[in-house]
Amino acid sequence: MRAATTVPPTQHDSPESAGAPAHRPSGPPVVELRQIRKSFGDLEVLKGIDLQVHKGEHVVVFGPSGSGKSTVLRSINLLEPPTSGSLKVAGVEYGPGLPGEGDVKKGKPLDLRRSVGMVFQSFNLFPHLTALENVCLPLRSVRGVKRDEAEQRSADALRRVGLLPRAAHFPGQLSGGQQQRVAIARALTLDPEVLLFDEPTSALDPELVGEVLSTMREVAELGMTMVIVTHELGFAREIGDLNVFMEDGVVVETGPRGFFDECHNPRTQKFISAVL
Amino acid sequence: MSTLLSLPTAASQYDWGIVWDNRSMLLNGLLTALEVSFVALIISMVLGMGLALVRMGRAPFSWIAAIYINVFRGVPALVSVIWVYFGLALVLDISFSVFQAGVIALSLLYSAFLAEIFRSALNAIPKGQKEAGLALGMKPVRIFFSITLPQATKIALPNVGNMFIGMVKDTSTFTVIGLLEVVRVTQNLVAETFQPFVLYTAAAALYVFVAFVLDFLFRLAERTLDTPPNGALSRGLRGRKQRRIQALIDAQPPVRPSTAT
Repeated sequence: MRAATTVPPTQHDSPESAGAPAHRPSGPPVVELRQIRKSFGDLEVLKGIDLQVHKGEHVVVFGPSGSGKSTVLRSINLLEPPTSGSLKVAGVEYGPGLPGEGDVKKGKPLDLRRSVGMVFQSFNLFPHLTALENVCLPLRSVRGVKRDEAEQRSADALRRVGLLPRAAHFPGQLSGGQQQRVAIARALTLDPEVLLFDEPTSALDPELVGEVLSTMREVAELGMTMVIVTHELGFAREIGDLNVFMEDGVVVETGPRGFFDECHNPRTQKFISAVL
Repeated sequence: MSTLLSLPTAASQYDWGIVWDNRSMLLNGLLTALEVSFVALIISMVLGMGLALVRMGRAPFSWIAAIYINVFRGVPALVSVIWVYFGLALVLDISFSVFQAGVIALSLLYSAFLAEIFRSALNAIPKGQKEAGLALGMKPVRIFFSITLPQATKIALPNVGNMFIGMVKDTSTFTVIGLLEVVRVTQNLVAETFQPFVLYTAAAALYVFVAFVLDFLFRLAERTLDTPPNGALSRGLRGRKQRRIQALIDAQPPVRPSTAT
């Protein structure tokens, strides 16, 4: 196995100082990753990730393909359970935990997922259900909302993403951008503590990227806590309160707003200049 | 076989009128065949889905399911019904009616076939569907019934139709236990009329007719389950749902975010 860090870490050794403390919100973090590691067989894709996400914060994770950024995101809702390390959401431990901390009471994955929303690269709408039913199904089955109320709330959610007129359409009748907006509405109606975005625009035609980004912008303005894995660095620069550059399963550098113009690590600079 | 020795030698000796004269007996035989097949189809679908899930689950249960599937896919219906009617009945000390024996025999065989059909249908559902359900905080059972199963059913349906046609044909072997299905009725009529060619051809025509009808019905079901924009029929059948959603749309205030189209 190769060394845990191939690139000298700039700041990730001390999560407290990640980014610029002056800009970071105080109080307990909504999501806290400490020394998260993940292996697929012999391949270690996450080599000790530290990350704190505070309430209302918009965290952008970027980096080259295969850097582990999607895996970090997917470990937050345990779609990829970490091999080791601590994952705390709203103060509850959901990961294997850290060695020194003894037996902490663990939360259930189901409870975790009910407080963490996710938007996928490939939308993952349910193709046999209308747009409205896609939003409605989790409301009814997860929150136990009655049919009439669930439909009202779903219609309202679709209206907010501008897709109410398409409520009776099936995913196959919607464009990629529209499908992704329905997916955002579906995640939003469950009122999550934090919303994860896994490359939400990567599967879209270039001309459809804008509408999804503007919906995300609106969600951000509502004060939603967001963790966004993206290649859209222009959008990241605009929205990111905390920016995380990853490569080879480690966090190379993190920084606050303005990070894209002020990053110090030569690898980060090289990546940003190649993409932006 | 005296019936074969008395086979008519000239076409003029074929009496096609006896088919019409005995139509009610033949159709009753067909009805029996369809009843046995239909009950067995329902049982096989439930058992088959269970088998598919066990087969996709943990060892050693998955191995047991795999062995069952591979054995019963190979057993002929004739043997199966003899095992049930003469063997299983003896072992369990129950006497089955010929109808029950036929249903059990078919269910044993076709649950194995349907298990493989359901397994491949379940495997055809993209991984992201289950992940989306999990990420939304849905319980696995709910994900199965609300997300996976409806989509898998649609994929499996054409093959289930084929299986049903096969089941109806396999009832022809149940003449061996005396079930009054199409072949048994035909045999009885042949014994009276010495017209095997005519009567067996008529029997075959009945099976072909049923195959056509079943094919049509399953296509209809398939199209109904298909989501728009495919399938004009589905749009019509979903009309009520569409109107309900339209009412919701109309009830919502018309203001929309300026950025959205």
